[in-house]
Amino acid sequence: MATASVLNGDGSALPIRVSEFGKSYGKVVAVREASLDVVKGEMYGLIGPDGAGKSTLMKSIAGVLAYDAGSIEVFGQKVDSEESAELIKSRIGLMPQGLGLNLSPDLSIEENIDYFARVRLVPPSELEARKDRFLKMTRLDSFRNRPMKNLSGGMKQKLGLICSLIHLPELIILDEPTTGVDPVSRRDFWAILSELSRAEGMTALISTAYMEEALRFDRVSLMHEGRFLASGTPEELVGLVPGTMVELRCPNQIEALGVLREYYAQVEPRGEWVRLLADTADRDKAKSEAISFLPPDLQPTEVRTWDPDLEDVFIALLRQREQTEGEATSAAGTVETYAALPEEQMERTAIEAMELTRIFGSFTAVDHVTFQVKQGEIFGLLGANGAGKSTCIKMLTGILPPSSGEGQVSGADMRFAGQEIKERIGYVSQAFSLYIDLTVLENIMLYAGIYGVPKDLRPERAEWVLNVAGLSGRGDAKVASLPMGLRQRLSLGCALVHQPSTLFLDEPTSGVDPVGRRQFWDILYRLSRVHNVAILFTTHYMSEAESCDHIVLMFAGRVVADAPPESLEDNIENQVGHLLEFRTSDPPNALGLVTSIFPEALAYGSRIRLISSDPTGDEQRIREILTEHGIQVLSVTPKPISMEEVFVHTVTSLERESEKAKGAA
Amino acid sequence: MSLMNVWKNWASRLSVMTYKEILQFLRDPILMLILVYAFILGVRNAGTSVSMQIEHAPIAFIDNDRSNTSREVIYSFQEPWFSPYGVISGPREGQRLLDSGKVMAVLDIPPQFEESLMRGDPESIQLQLDTSNSSIAEIVEGYASQVMAPLGQTFGLKSLGISSSSSSLPPGIIDAHRIWFNPNVLDSWFQSVCQLIQVITMLALLLPAAAMVREKERGTIEQLTVSPLSPLQIILPKVISMTLAIIIGCCLSLFIVIGPMFHVPMKGSLLLFFVITAIYVFSMTGIGVFIASISRNLAQVGLLSIMLLTPMIYLSGKFTPPEAMPGALLAVMYIQPTYYYLNIVFGILLKGAGVQILWLQILIMIALGSVIFIAAMRRFKRQMG
Amino acid sequence: MNGRRIIAVASKEIREVARDKLFAVLAFVLPSFLMLLLGVCLSMDVENIPIAIVDNDNTPESRDFTSRFSSSRYFNLVSIAYDDRELDPLLKNNVIRAVIIIPAHFGKNINKGRPAPIQTLLDGTYTSRAQITKGYISSIIASMNGNLLAQYISRIKGIPLDRAQIAVRPVSVDSRYLYNPSIKSVLGLAPRLLVLILYMVPPLLTGLGVVREKETGSIFNVYASTLTRGEYLIGKLIPYVGIAFLNAIVLLLIALLVFGAPFKGSMLFFLVSTLAYVVSTCCLGLMISTLMTTQAAAMIFTAIVTQITAVNFSGVMVPVGSLSPGGQKIAHLFPCMFYTRIIEGTFLKGTGTAQLWLNVLILVIFSIVLFTISYLQFHKRTNA
Repeated sequence: MATASVLNGDGSALPIRVSEFGKSYGKVVAVREASLDVVKGEMYGLIGPDGAGKSTLMKSIAGVLAYDAGSIEVFGQKVDSEESAELIKSRIGLMPQGLGLNLSPDLSIEENIDYFARVRLVPPSELEARKDRFLKMTRLDSFRNRPMKNLSGGMKQKLGLICSLIHLPELIILDEPTTGVDPVSRRDFWAILSELSRAEGMTALISTAYMEEALRFDRVSLMHEGRFLASGTPEELVGLVPGTMVELRCPNQIEALGVLREYYAQVEPRGEWVRLLADTADRDKAKSEAISFLPPDLQPTEVRTWDPDLEDVFIALLRQREQTEGEATSAAGTVETYAALPEEQMERTAIEAMELTRIFGSFTAVDHVTFQVKQGEIFGLLGANGAGKSTCIKMLTGILPPSSGEGQVSGADMRFAGQEIKERIGYVSQAFSLYIDLTVLENIMLYAGIYGVPKDLRPERAEWVLNVAGLSGRGDAKVASLPMGLRQRLSLGCALVHQPSTLFLDEPTSGVDPVGRRQFWDILYRLSRVHNVAILFTTHYMSEAESCDHIVLMFAGRVVADAPPESLEDNIENQVGHLLEFRTSDPPNALGLVTSIFPEALAYGSRIRLISSDPTGDEQRIREILTEHGIQVLSVTPKPISMEEVFVHTVTSLERESEKAKGAA
Repeated sequence: MSLMNVWKNWASRLSVMTYKEILQFLRDPILMLILVYAFILGVRNAGTSVSMQIEHAPIAFIDNDRSNTSREVIYSFQEPWFSPYGVISGPREGQRLLDSGKVMAVLDIPPQFEESLMRGDPESIQLQLDTSNSSIAEIVEGYASQVMAPLGQTFGLKSLGISSSSSSLPPGIIDAHRIWFNPNVLDSWFQSVCQLIQVITMLALLLPAAAMVREKERGTIEQLTVSPLSPLQIILPKVISMTLAIIIGCCLSLFIVIGPMFHVPMKGSLLLFFVITAIYVFSMTGIGVFIASISRNLAQVGLLSIMLLTPMIYLSGKFTPPEAMPGALLAVMYIQPTYYYLNIVFGILLKGAGVQILWLQILIMIALGSVIFIAAMRRFKRQMG
Repeated sequence: MNGRRIIAVASKEIREVARDKLFAVLAFVLPSFLMLLLGVCLSMDVENIPIAIVDNDNTPESRDFTSRFSSSRYFNLVSIAYDDRELDPLLKNNVIRAVIIIPAHFGKNINKGRPAPIQTLLDGTYTSRAQITKGYISSIIASMNGNLLAQYISRIKGIPLDRAQIAVRPVSVDSRYLYNPSIKSVLGLAPRLLVLILYMVPPLLTGLGVVREKETGSIFNVYASTLTRGEYLIGKLIPYVGIAFLNAIVLLLIALLVFGAPFKGSMLFFLVSTLAYVVSTCCLGLMISTLMTTQAAAMIFTAIVTQITAVNFSGVMVPVGSLSPGGQKIAHLFPCMFYTRIIEGTFLKGTGTAQLWLNVLILVIFSIVLFTISYLQFHKRTNA
């Protein structure tokens, strides 16, 4: 933890100083007793689920939200009234939550930037130079005149970033800038942000729901239900929970899961593996202990161990808190009963796309897409924003007629049997789309009625949905008052109300906290394994992609990869090499040096990551160049190739190819 | 599945969706407030304050004669038709008063007015009228003639030595007029009912249009399109719930304002009134749905609604009767349901007419309403794909 | 207050309006459309009132009486019936406005100098129409009675009929039609429609501006920026004032060129006061926008409030003077009435600026009050 100094190193006032902050909306306490100091030039992360109070805190710091308790100082200025808040606004920039919501959809990229610049009185002479530089950096340069509404989610967020930075504020506050953004765009976003903050000496306060992004910050605070669980550097936080992640591949996953849950608090399925957190840092001990709990018939065929990542730490911290304070977060229930599929349909193909194509004007959104999803399979459809995933789902669910090609869903031809398909599937859309002015129960009963659940069965079924979604006892709560995680579980619950054999989930976990996502996955897992439900899933959380049985990766409307996640990872490892992570004594300068020989190397907070086809040779070269410049290499760790790397590598290399093809043409 | 089951399913979906619409409506306090304002206060204000009859026309007098006769003339211009401003100095002041709108007319009595009348010569009095609102001016002119005619006759007969009260004079035609349906010609009856009709018309169009666009803007429409609901099952519940809300609003209006405050007789069958109103609201919601289907945002809905509502309200016959309409507008008047609705409502509430009298207007209204509703449904279906 | 920031907000708003094609087109087409429509459909003078006559007498006298109605331009004799039961449905269906029943012995009574009663049944539903109809019927009867009286006087006094005519009606009212000598109602109506249309459309244009940003969340850009509240609200207002003012000029041209309305006052004064009026109506929209939390509520509220008050309390359709005292008070709560006075003064009457400037001042006060309410309602640091 940083010492609570009132001043920066150079004697100026701290950019942000929050003490004992509290804010309630009516009876609902959003944040309580939050204290926080941010030092000049720091990239500070607020991590936690939607509804944890991040936005409340950030808005209050930016002076746009009144609060009830404590104090906020920004650059030494007390922010406690509308008038005093005005005094800091020239020195800050705020990017509110929501994909492109702060931009004008009908205006072009350039017009949007110009508007922000003019409001901030940026001199025209400087504006041009700054705009050119930012647009180049974000690779939005060639789309200057494109209306914002026609940009992909990632591009929107990059534009939003430029707009909030155009007046070069000393402090920038970004509220979940990467939620709903694909991994490649996210990586871009962070690269730009870290470069700018370094170049301009800017301080940044950023919130995110992606745990893996926490590593990119200098310091982070973990927030949950309006409180700080812990604060510190990412390393310090990981150190708070000493332990080992053990992954076991067992013959009967579901039974192994059941057995291990009796011994470990944190056990979850991940693809074909069972993953658990052992509370010892001794990997061998953790491994042997886990194996010893399993009966002979469940002995794992393969076991591997990792250091716990921040997501595991977050959940562990939360668990500890619950134990000490006896505070239970509402957990999702289990799916005990479910409409059983007829025996003969157990093995069928639940979803089949055959040469599906959709053309909008001159733009081919989906280009001859073919894939199959079997009953009982969790199927991940991945791709960058705008790759055609949602269009695919819309065609399969019958909202959008295909231009050509055909498909089958739950044994019905989508061209002729739209109505039957609609009755047999459940659907959770990208944006939350239940009625926020109705209560939880009213929403459930509505969908029960819509999906034709017989009237006398409805109360019982509603009870079941409440239980599955972990919303028991909250039936009468207005949906508007629920945090995002619970809302998404309600969406899933409503999609399950008629117990469909096929589920379409379009980014259902966007913005949902790790706990919520794990509970969500628990339900999905049981549905697929026990009740043989086929699940087609899209997500930008690559940790979720790892949990899928099968992955299809789309790029520019086409399928570019179609395999289980592990074989995709293996492929990449075979093709391009291993992932190395460097810790150095002088991160900013080290990055410059490393990128001069490895342009693809990326800053990961204070660390540097790169994929190397020759790990030993490359490590040697980097060590040489760094020591030459007097920089110490503190550690070099090989990291497993994850879906994140698969995604980023595949998509960026395809992008490069298509740029080349364009250039050649 | 048997036909019975299909029907049961259909009805059950419809009813859960309708229930949802009603709940949502009840949870929007501002909307409720607007509804109450429009149906109660709006109707009350129109009924108590607006009069289309011209009364109390301010009039000033220039008396160049200063005789008993001229004073008698001036004295005859009285309430309720006229509101005498008083005798003024001359034409110049008259002009000023007319210019500033303080008086609507100036009556200029010439010199030797009494003398020439006594001689039995014809005389003329000049009436200067502000005709910037010409229809009102014409009415005021008519009042002046009606005041002057019997007065002049008395003077004329007196010059011949005949007393105007003499019983030997032929009485001539005596008009025993009776005003039906609103014997005391109370504006409150006409204005309040017209206002009710206007409020119904506007809300029937705006409420469903806003509800549709809200589903579009919030993205909830997507969830509905993936569900087994048919477009009709999405639209109808909105129409039904809005119709219900408007019918309740009508009840408030009728039983709090129009009945108890203004004593409008409500002679005909109220059941018929409500049935007709429901049908009318249905067809208006069709227009609302149509507007929602071509609008991207609520601002567009607002402008399009006014574009369609204004002709409906102004071509309803409230302001200008059909006989005064030029051909093209008359055609528009006859193809929009509000015209028939207005006639039917007055027929029921004031005139006590029933189906046996109003059937043709009812049929036409239903036919027009169905065309509108079906067209809107087709458009919505196409949009939903 | 920084002009450049205001311009930044305003120009962005203008761009957004321009990009929203349907909205932009409607913003300019709607006022003109309403002007043409209302100009034609409200200016029609009452003529051809449909009536029916039941002639139970069928004598030359009764036919003479009937012919006075059929030849009048005010009446359209829809049917001459001999049984009044036929007429009930016609009245109830609003096919006819009045029935005149001539009883038997009508002719005989007249010839014998006895009272000749007739009966008029008027549909009182449309109160003003009933009054007008009654007036026209009375004047036809009065003129017939005058003739009868003149004939009688000429007979008993032995004087020529024309002399007797004068005695019966010695005083004629010689009307001078000021401001609108041809007494075509459209000449007076068309200018007054500016009041109505510039009150119905601009608030609707302005009314969603702020609440839309509140609903989407883009308002936080404003909150977090150095824009002051005043700058933002003025920037939001300017484009719509501009659109409304352009519309006012188009409407002026329609009034002058299409409907041929006269314009006698000072054009400069008219333009200044029109600007004051559209600012006040735009401010009304702005106020609603800052008060409401959802676009739907703002839209419906604006539409209902403006439509209801515009028709009844603006002085356009009904002179404010003939409203009830309570109604006159309500009329003073809206800017329309004051602009109606300005319109009547500048178009038809040519009233001088000296007599009208107070109205402009009132419009300015309206704008200030409405803007101040908006300003006080709008905060850059909110509670939720």
